[in-house]
Amino acid sequence: MPLLEVVGLTKKIGSKALVEDVTFSMEKGEILGLLGPNGAGKTTTIRMIVGLMSRTAGQAQINGLDTLKMFKEAMRHVGVIVENPDLYKYLSGYDNLLHFARMTPGVSKTRIQEVIELVGLTDRISDKVAAYSLGMRQRLGLAVVLVHQPSLLVLDEPTNGLDPSGIRELRNHLRHLAHQNGVGVLVSSHLMSEMEMMCDRVVVLQKGRLVGTHMLGDISGHERSLIGFEVDRTDLAMQLLQTLMKGADITTEQNVVQIMIDKSQIPEISRKLMDAGVNVYGVSAAKKTLEDTFLEMTGGKEH
Amino acid sequence: MISLIRNENLKIYKRTRTWVMMGIAILYVALQIFNINSAGEGVVRDNWQVQLEQDNRQLSKVANQLDALPIEIIQAEKQILLNQYHLDHNMPPSVSGWAFTIDQLRNIVFASSLIAIIIAGEIMAGEFAAGTIKLLLTRSASRTQIYCSKYIASLVFALFLTTICVAVAMVLGGVFFGFAGLTSSHLYVQDQTVMGIPVLQALWSGYILQLPFLLVVVTLAFMISAAFRSITFSIVISMLIAVAGFVISIAMDGWDWTRYFIFSQTDWTPFVYGNPSVEDVSMLWAVALLLLHVVILHSISYFSFVKRDVKQ
Repeated sequence: MPLLEVVGLTKKIGSKALVEDVTFSMEKGEILGLLGPNGAGKTTTIRMIVGLMSRTAGQAQINGLDTLKMFKEAMRHVGVIVENPDLYKYLSGYDNLLHFARMTPGVSKTRIQEVIELVGLTDRISDKVAAYSLGMRQRLGLAVVLVHQPSLLVLDEPTNGLDPSGIRELRNHLRHLAHQNGVGVLVSSHLMSEMEMMCDRVVVLQKGRLVGTHMLGDISGHERSLIGFEVDRTDLAMQLLQTLMKGADITTEQNVVQIMIDKSQIPEISRKLMDAGVNVYGVSAAKKTLEDTFLEMTGGKEH
Repeated sequence: MISLIRNENLKIYKRTRTWVMMGIAILYVALQIFNINSAGEGVVRDNWQVQLEQDNRQLSKVANQLDALPIEIIQAEKQILLNQYHLDHNMPPSVSGWAFTIDQLRNIVFASSLIAIIIAGEIMAGEFAAGTIKLLLTRSASRTQIYCSKYIASLVFALFLTTICVAVAMVLGGVFFGFAGLTSSHLYVQDQTVMGIPVLQALWSGYILQLPFLLVVVTLAFMISAAFRSITFSIVISMLIAVAGFVISIAMDGWDWTRYFIFSQTDWTPFVYGNPSVEDVSMLWAVALLLLHVVILHSISYFSFVKRDVKQ
């Protein structure tokens, strides 16, 4: 049974479809990204899943529980942050945490202390939230959604307004939760570089429709990619490579010679270059980025 | 459900604002005392008999005027009866903190209603304005539960505030006008006869019989708050309606159409201790009218709250 299963989710206003027939599922311990340009229906999809918005058609099940028919039971193990974690500014951090901890039966005081330590707010927890920085609010927001030990975290545009160190902190938290604690994380963003670093898999939305899914993993040894050799004698290197790899497309750019080869061929080629008296200062692999994949999937019209 | 109400209470009572407003309500009670004290009405004068006789002559003149309204005549006759009762029994009109409080119950409930409007008007709309509604509605609690917990918390606050104001009125009133007379009777006129009940009974029953006003006003503010999500809108509109309703109910007292006017039917004291201003209105009618208003208000706000798409 998947942790989250979304089938044919549709939202129409009049005849205009904001989200149409979106179907995907995710497992425990997975970080799934919902990617798409602004207005693609990411937020609407997420809000329909967690019951903030009504749906025209379709289903969403969390741990096999329908989020419409069994809302309370289904949401018991879900933590949701939509856009910024808006908290009660006039309450202290602790009171905010207590407030949301009480909403799920059986959350102990020790658990509250645990999450305070986890997000590193021990010193400031009795201060009013109004006095918190955005980063601290983000951390308290995380504590609020973690306090009832959810098995699914849903975050909509969590990196909005965060500085680079805040983004990295959030990313580390999420990766730790997913890969160490087995929490499933559904996260939406329009920032591709962010999603690339954070997610295990992305689902791409465009104009309310799902246009594809993409696994993000290490580039395997047998995948051909564009390898660049940084050398001192480009002319010599060109000659050598042309004889070694007949018919290959070789380009030079300043001190870098680029060629499309298997990753496994790199050691051999660099040794041959050295033998021929060409000094190699660096080897780089130009990865096919998520951005390229995204543009491929969406036809490149949106960006 | 209990923990949801506790959460709402946490959000109400941990705000400095709430206590400042409570201070304002208490200040209002103190002002009333100051008002009466400086008008010299807080003491029994030596010539109280002469004063009452004079009052009665004045009142019968009013009642006998050709253009006197029926309600004016009824009220004048009641006052004459009461004054005559005091004269006949050689018993000066009681002046004490208790009498002051009984006298002021309607005003105290009115004043605390206005403060309760602020809390009830903010309790739902505030969550939307601050964006916290998203966190609140994505937990393991149904929207119906959230709705009810907020409504109950608003009512509890309104009751709490009113009770404090009544207590303050008794204590401050006692300090200024004396604590004596707790064992004496509170007099009222029913069917042209002067009757008496123990002061304590007049206090608690008078307090309870004024509460329908509080209920209507708090429900109205809560309804606008939940249905329209605007703090300003719900507080301003509810206050206007509460003040207008209160004033109209006094100005139009006794007019036949006021049987349909909710604010004329929210003081239930006359049904028990006295006679209603519109003669044939029964307490059952007032109860039904109140229920009708509460049900209509909730049916507007409940369904719009439960079905709403949260886009904040």
